[in-house]
Amino acid sequence: MRAARITRRQQDSLTSLHEAASNLRQKYAVPDVLRTHVRPVTTSSREAQWRNAAGRQLNLGAALLSLSVLADSGIEHYRGSFQNRAMYVPLGVSALALAASLFGVLDTRARSHVLRDGLYGVAAMTGVIGLGFHGYNILKRPGRFSWLNLFYAAPLGAPVALLLAGALGRGAEKVREDRSSRILGHPAGQTLGLLTSAGLAGTAAEAGLLHFRGAFQNPGMFLPVTLPPVAAGLLAASVINPGNALRRAAKACLNLTALLGFAGVAFHAYGVSRSMGGWRNWSQNLLGGPPLPAPPSFTGLALGGLAALSLVDKEQRSPST
Amino acid sequence: MREYREDQPVDFAIVGTGAGGGTLACKLAEYGFSVVAFDAGPYWRPLEDFASDEMHQSKLYWTDERIVDGENPLQLGSNNSGKSVGGSTVHFAMVSLRFRPEWFKSLSILGYGADWPIDWREMWDYYAEVEQTLKVSGPINYPWGPKRPRYPYRAHELNAAALVLAEGAEALGIGWTATPLATLSAPRGLAHPCVYRGMCVIGCSTNAKQSVLVTWLPRALEAGAEIRDLAMVGSIEHDSRGLVTGVHYLREGRWRFQKARNVVVAGYSIETPRLLLNSASGKFPQGLANSSGLVGKNLMVQANQAVWGISDREIRSYKGPPSLAITEHWNYSDEGKDFHGGYSYMSQGPLPMLWGATQSSKRGLWGQALLDEMEKYNHQVGLKIVGETLPQERNCVTLTDERDQYGLRIPRVTHSYSDNDKRLIAHSLRFMRQALQATGARDIWDETDDTCHLNGTARMGFDRKSSVVNADCRSWDIPNLWICDGSVFPTVGGVNPSLTIQAIACRTADRIRAMARRGELITT
Amino acid sequence: MTERYPGYNVLNKRNSPSWNDQTREVIDARLAIDEDFHRFCDQAEWRALRAICEQIVPQPAHHFPKAPIAAMIDQKLYSGKGDGYRDARLPAQGDAWRKGLAAIDAEAALESGKSFCELGQEQQRAVLRKVQKGEVASPAWAGLPAQLFFAKRLLHDIVTAYYAHPASWSEIGFGGPASPRGYVRMNFDRRDPWEAAEAKVGREEEARRDNEHVG
Repeated sequence: MRAARITRRQQDSLTSLHEAASNLRQKYAVPDVLRTHVRPVTTSSREAQWRNAAGRQLNLGAALLSLSVLADSGIEHYRGSFQNRAMYVPLGVSALALAASLFGVLDTRARSHVLRDGLYGVAAMTGVIGLGFHGYNILKRPGRFSWLNLFYAAPLGAPVALLLAGALGRGAEKVREDRSSRILGHPAGQTLGLLTSAGLAGTAAEAGLLHFRGAFQNPGMFLPVTLPPVAAGLLAASVINPGNALRRAAKACLNLTALLGFAGVAFHAYGVSRSMGGWRNWSQNLLGGPPLPAPPSFTGLALGGLAALSLVDKEQRSPST
Repeated sequence: MREYREDQPVDFAIVGTGAGGGTLACKLAEYGFSVVAFDAGPYWRPLEDFASDEMHQSKLYWTDERIVDGENPLQLGSNNSGKSVGGSTVHFAMVSLRFRPEWFKSLSILGYGADWPIDWREMWDYYAEVEQTLKVSGPINYPWGPKRPRYPYRAHELNAAALVLAEGAEALGIGWTATPLATLSAPRGLAHPCVYRGMCVIGCSTNAKQSVLVTWLPRALEAGAEIRDLAMVGSIEHDSRGLVTGVHYLREGRWRFQKARNVVVAGYSIETPRLLLNSASGKFPQGLANSSGLVGKNLMVQANQAVWGISDREIRSYKGPPSLAITEHWNYSDEGKDFHGGYSYMSQGPLPMLWGATQSSKRGLWGQALLDEMEKYNHQVGLKIVGETLPQERNCVTLTDERDQYGLRIPRVTHSYSDNDKRLIAHSLRFMRQALQATGARDIWDETDDTCHLNGTARMGFDRKSSVVNADCRSWDIPNLWICDGSVFPTVGGVNPSLTIQAIACRTADRIRAMARRGELITT
Repeated sequence: MTERYPGYNVLNKRNSPSWNDQTREVIDARLAIDEDFHRFCDQAEWRALRAICEQIVPQPAHHFPKAPIAAMIDQKLYSGKGDGYRDARLPAQGDAWRKGLAAIDAEAALESGKSFCELGQEQQRAVLRKVQKGEVASPAWAGLPAQLFFAKRLLHDIVTAYYAHPASWSEIGFGGPASPRGYVRMNFDRRDPWEAAEAKVGREEEARRDNEHVG
């Protein structure tokens, strides 16, 4: 193909575009969320920066959790024919939580935002109410609190994911805003670390329940019931008892867990393809086969855990007043 | 597939490839014996050969003529027959239940019927082997009977018809559970899990159903057995010493002879006695293995009565396996019973042809009344028993003088309920009516004359006078003739028999191996 | 009576994942049965059989396609494929039908001098009711128990033929063939989008709309 001749005028406008783009990049740059070192400026602005970085990473975790909830509740409540009007609520709320989280990820200002904070609160509350609905769904069926209903009635783990998204998001806001950065009376890093650790363990428990329902027919089904609990344990341990070796191990496991979330989607996509009729029978297999949107919850929580780890790290090195 | 010559005797010629014969063929081949298993039906490939159509799939049934009589003539052909490699397990409802332990000694412990010469504890291990092989999907905790190992796969989700059974049971304060079913609730190797298409009893085109066709037989072929399909065995040959030497069979239009050191008859409760009786000779004028005169006697059906009603809720029972929920309460509780024996009852999901036949032939509806009733199809809900009937010698399989397309004498199946059977049926109908009423169903009616599985006709026992075979399924009269299917049952219990038939086949294979090692097999 | 499943036609699912090639082949063959074709029955038997089928299953006039029940039965009798059992009191299925059709004609003639198919609708039903109760007078029933023939042969064969036909499936809201795709929603009052929608009082149009999208 022949290169087009570029006029000076065009060159000028290209240059100005480049400038505008780099300005935008600077303003809304997503820092390498896994890296915690920042350019040394002043102590206070350095602290503001790492606090913000951790906050944005927590926002990212909340975003992934919200996305997982949005897609999962969309599919599962469609399967449930939206029998109850309330079944639309988690879709709306998780979509808003997702939007708030993305806003947070892009927001470099070292401050919380009342809109995000509020939406995260609503998400967490929706999670709690959803848990009540799902519990009622289990208890009203013949057999009540039985294995069969735990397997096939409304899942208890799903609304908890929304609660966790809200909690991580609230944490993100708190971390940015609060100089003392304490949550529930403890340093933010510690609280968030333990929260994500518990979240990981709970999510692993749900994967365990559903993979048990699937009789662990594929060895890969053991991954989400082994790796995330180890990551959760290491995370909790390194929060309570900080040390370099433990911290490195926790970080490695959390990184692997984050990857597992994506690998899980691939595994589940394979599961859909090998169900009767494969992808051609998507209208059945997307609903009846392994759930595509579930595994990314692990990624979201792992990112939250990594952020918490870096917070703990900083909290130790520069103890807040 | 390995193939054997007809003129070289194989270790075992097995007649029938269903729950008894197919299982035994696999186990014996794996133990190193040479095996040829015959089936009168074709070797289907479910993914390619099965249509979603009741009428077409009647190709799986044994529809050759049989005469039925007695006070309560049986309906044969669909739910109690099979003419396919894999036998009736190709279209069974996959219900995989263990006997109540006491049933193996029902005469000495419970005071009716006959004792089995096998101990329940031994059977418990063989049940576990079969459940593993079929990857039975069952509940975590089974509410009745002694402890059993966890089912290999988890129970399936319940459909509305099953939830109705659960509601009724809870209202009446009795236990219920998800039915242990031999259909996959998760993938297994290349096999897809169940897609809840609801056409289990006309053949599973998903291959989720763990029939003999897809479980034992591939293993049998792997181990070197030959399955000879479309081969109708007409008689068993014996020598002057009274030992069997092989089988005559019709294949591709001509009669052939396969030499064998042992013959196993596994044709189920009608074809097994028919073959033994049709093999009568100068030496054995009453038929083979029949010095007791009991071949063909003590035919036991299982009662299959139902109550049906209409629910205000949409049930759509055509979805999912037909019997997803069960209660065995009246198998395990003897409280207040005015009859011997027990029954289980299960949720139902009849497809349109069967449902039409039920409403018309059973209930007598036709014309607009029939159409109006049929229009409620998606709201109908029912509970149906599998009920124990007692062995009676008057219930029997004999031969008529009419001949079928093979030139073989047609069997006559004579059946009448005993008074005890009638009391059991009446009890079950009363109880299920209450259960259905408790769920808010209305327009409830009783289906009073259906039966399902057949058993007996070559019972096992403790001595040659009162039974046809011993505990090892070996004929008392002819030591290299074996019978391995539901016809060896001395009693039937109130559960579907396929799991027990397969367990007995596994046990028989172990016994044969042990006898072979000790040099106790007698061959020509 | 208004339709319970307005606008539902199970044949609209023919090209959906609910049907596979084997099923299409089988159902296509059934739909191709010529309703006037008969090989087993002679003319008199055929006229009687058709009239009886009309009475046992009065198919709604608006139905399309109509189930060719009489032709399906003729086909079955011609093939000789049995059900796997025969009540000892009844002759073999072909003989039973020939004898039974002749006897029903004779029963009709006994009262009116006409053959069954020439009777009015109500008269035809009256004859069939008598046969069902075994209250028959014609000597043509010799060796054929009327009641048993009616329940086990006549009703059984006609009704199973009808409910083997897609026309009846649409009428009763049955999902029809289901492989490779089965079902997902199994609880009370739930339907998959590829199942018939039932008309609820006052919301018939909603059901019709849903049923137009079944596929």
